Amino acid sequence: MWRKDERGGREFALGPESWTAAARSASECRAFAPDVEEEQVAEEERSCYNCRFRRWSRASFTCLGLPPLP
Amino acid sequence: MKILIAIDDTDNLESRGTGEIASLIAEDLRQRGWGSCSFITRHQLFVHPDIPYTSHNSAMCFFADIGEGRLEPVIELVGAFLERESAEGSDPGLCVAVPGAMASARELSAFGRRAKQEVVTMEEAYQLAHRLGVHLSQHGGTGQGVIGALAGAGLRLGGNDGRLKGSLEFAHPYRVLRVGELLQHPLVDAVRCVAGGALREEDLVAIGEKPKTVLLDGASVLLVSAAAEKGSGACWQTLHRKQLRGY
Repeated sequence: MWRKDERGGREFALGPESWTAAARSASECRAFAPDVEEEQVAEEERSCYNCRFRRWSRASFTCLGLPPLP
Repeated sequence: MKILIAIDDTDNLESRGTGEIASLIAEDLRQRGWGSCSFITRHQLFVHPDIPYTSHNSAMCFFADIGEGRLEPVIELVGAFLERESAEGSDPGLCVAVPGAMASARELSAFGRRAKQEVVTMEEAYQLAHRLGVHLSQHGGTGQGVIGALAGAGLRLGGNDGRLKGSLEFAHPYRVLRVGELLQHPLVDAVRCVAGGALREEDLVAIGEKPKTVLLDGASVLLVSAAAEKGSGACWQTLHRKQLRGY
């Protein structure tokens, strides 16, 4: 589910429209915190796409809440 | 006097968002009796690794109708507010434009569109603001937010970008409303089918969670799509959050 982005960060490997996977990932994530309302894009309240630690990238998003991948 | 206020980059990962800051500014202007403020719109800017934003890279913007002689006091007030209230580590930028006195609204709108597609520099933003006679100022950190602030103003002025901050609220938790009833809402200028279908005032629209309008052709438009479930009797439904993502 994760890969390294061009700067070594933890990038979601399934892109910006894998809604079910993003919700599943957030459901298991200890770092999840909801972003402000105007920045939320997923129907599921608890979704990586709605997390304040997700930083949109060109292909997907980088997670700033979890440690970088080894 | 009608003015446009846009801000960007006032937040960090833990703080309140730029949208809340915009709301507080609008409320402060209202409470002081300095003018009335419009709804706030959110404008997505370019996502690129070279752009050092926090998590969104979006600017917030609203119109204010202020009394004569209030322009400089408003600029001063908002600038001080940003310096006081912006998050640690942020790089807040403020743009205040007077559409009626600007050298070229078209150029400002074009800048906004550019900022959605390519990396723009602070220098370009300042040069354009100066040439157009638009106020642009930075209020902390690197001041990188001036780019988004100027772009946000341009995008709001262009009238074809952005979505409502917050959502439409109704007196009662309606599940279904007629198009004609929706048009009575103060924040709804038009109701349109996203696929281009024709709507009649008597058509029923199923209202989803937290419906939002988007800015299209200068209007606050509630977009609808064909209803997925027919049980409510509605032939249309408001768009889901994920369908509004591109606005």
